[in-house]
Amino acid sequence: MAHEDHDAIYDLLAARGVSRRDFLAYCGSIAALLGLSEAYVPQIAAAVNRGARLKPAIWLNGGACTGCTEAIAQADSPDVATIVLEILSLDFIETLSMAQGEDALAAAEAVFEEPGYILIYEGSVMKGFDGNALRIGGITGLEELEHAAPNAAAIVAVGSCAVDGGFVMARPNPADATGVSMYLQEKGIDTPVVNLPTCPVNPEWVVAILVDVLLLGTLETGAILDKLDRHGRPKYIFGQTIHDNCPRRGHFENGNFVYEFGTEQEALGYCLYPVGCKGPQTYTNCPIVRWNRRASWCVEAGSPCIGCGSLDWVDVGAPFLNRHRDLPLPEVGNTQPNTIAGVVAGIAAAGLAVHAVGMKATGRTSGGAPYEEMKERDKKRMKKGGGE
Amino acid sequence: MAHPAHYREAHPFIFVMTHWINLVSIVALTISGFYIHYPFLPGLMSVMRGMHFFFMFVLLINLAVRIIGAFTVKSATRLGTREVDTDIKNWLPQKLNRGQMWPWLKYYLFLKKEHPIGAKYGVLQKIAYLFTIPLTLAAAYTGFAIWGPTMDWGFLIAGTDAVGGPMAMRIIHYYIMWGFILFTAIHIYLANIEGTDPSKLIFKWEETEGLQFDAEGRVVGGKGH
Repeated sequence: MAHEDHDAIYDLLAARGVSRRDFLAYCGSIAALLGLSEAYVPQIAAAVNRGARLKPAIWLNGGACTGCTEAIAQADSPDVATIVLEILSLDFIETLSMAQGEDALAAAEAVFEEPGYILIYEGSVMKGFDGNALRIGGITGLEELEHAAPNAAAIVAVGSCAVDGGFVMARPNPADATGVSMYLQEKGIDTPVVNLPTCPVNPEWVVAILVDVLLLGTLETGAILDKLDRHGRPKYIFGQTIHDNCPRRGHFENGNFVYEFGTEQEALGYCLYPVGCKGPQTYTNCPIVRWNRRASWCVEAGSPCIGCGSLDWVDVGAPFLNRHRDLPLPEVGNTQPNTIAGVVAGIAAAGLAVHAVGMKATGRTSGGAPYEEMKERDKKRMKKGGGE
Repeated sequence: MAHPAHYREAHPFIFVMTHWINLVSIVALTISGFYIHYPFLPGLMSVMRGMHFFFMFVLLINLAVRIIGAFTVKSATRLGTREVDTDIKNWLPQKLNRGQMWPWLKYYLFLKKEHPIGAKYGVLQKIAYLFTIPLTLAAAYTGFAIWGPTMDWGFLIAGTDAVGGPMAMRIIHYYIMWGFILFTAIHIYLANIEGTDPSKLIFKWEETEGLQFDAEGRVVGGKGH
């Protein structure tokens, strides 16, 4: 790769206050995330530089809080990831596009007509209210997705909402929200979907996936599909639990726990397991990649993991500061599993106690009652036989 | 006094051992399980997890030994006798138990005064004991499905997905533990409420005299006849 090829991007990055060194370090982290050696750094850098001339990417918003857009945009201080994303020909993004109204929609339409673009979808697919929970440019969100999906080379579902409905589909799910891949399956649209859960999505992962499918050509070869797990999530991001890589893991093993916030144990940075950390069952590489320009992440910042990278994460994680989820009992409402177990055990213990009183009263506790001479059945048979 | 004689032939020594191992394992697994669910004391997590992972294998190996023993060891198939037969006979339907489910239920509900005739294990007792095998296997399956080194195995992931993820699996595992607690409570109660002879035999391998029975379940002699 000739050095001159890089000039354009370096000028652009320099204008945004990013040095060549920062950029290459960033490409190095992308390589690491993708499971590639550092030898791939120049290739990634060159690929990013070429990016704009490859495939256009479109960002659509479904039913969500726009937190994923916010996470990517980080409008007050753009970082390397943001700039790289800008370079990657993100032709249309509803919440951030300069163009507005019909002009913006026309720009998107122009992209939709040329098959092969990457569709980044943020937010849940809300099927309720005949799809009218979300309307864009006079059509429902469902129609927009059905229109945009078939021609896309691949869909990157960013954030838990796009993956399976996220918090929008938490009980009672009034909007009948679901994930992109589930909805497309219902509609028989077989565009490959790469799922990137968590709430919001981590920008580093979006960049990694775009570099992977858009620039390293894994989509064309089909290699990207081999990198996905059974939920369509990249294994190199969602292959291990947070617990596996947690910096507080030592405290877990030693039994140093935070039982209450505002205590000395919390100040000492002990393990947050008793205050409901969902790290042991949440498969993301948050502890390694971290968030906010790799500054920190939930557990490092002192909060237990609430499991936002899991499927159906609100219902399986809430209440977030408890070890177990609530079970929604009919008539009773949300109940902790140990309360249910305690009630059942209490009833059983009371039943045995009452039974023991009965056994005592009937004189069976000192050796049991006298044995029957023959089975009741045999007795009946004999009677019957005698009567005939 | 109408207690059957409890002879060693009812519980050969190997089964006294497996019973002890079951007891110790289940107690250790329950205590450490409660701790892993919520570490009620600081400082013991690695000890408790180590204990949990050690005794889960002990319990499974013990189950295997017990099942092999059922086919290779002879034991009495009814109380109050020293006659023995292959132990598995105790776990299959037995002539002495035929038609006795309802009498047993009535007896325990105080609707029947006399002690029903039965094999070494009465109808309900046998069902309850046999139920601990799938219960143990279910505990093992759900436990391995949430244990780091094995949770990614295909046949465990299939189950985890089917029940709705690791949280659901964790709660099922937790309830299986409560199943063991309930079983054990009822087991201890029923085994001892009419006298401690069964405990003396299964824990200390100590014989006690009592009624002797023939193959039809009729009292034929012994202490208390």
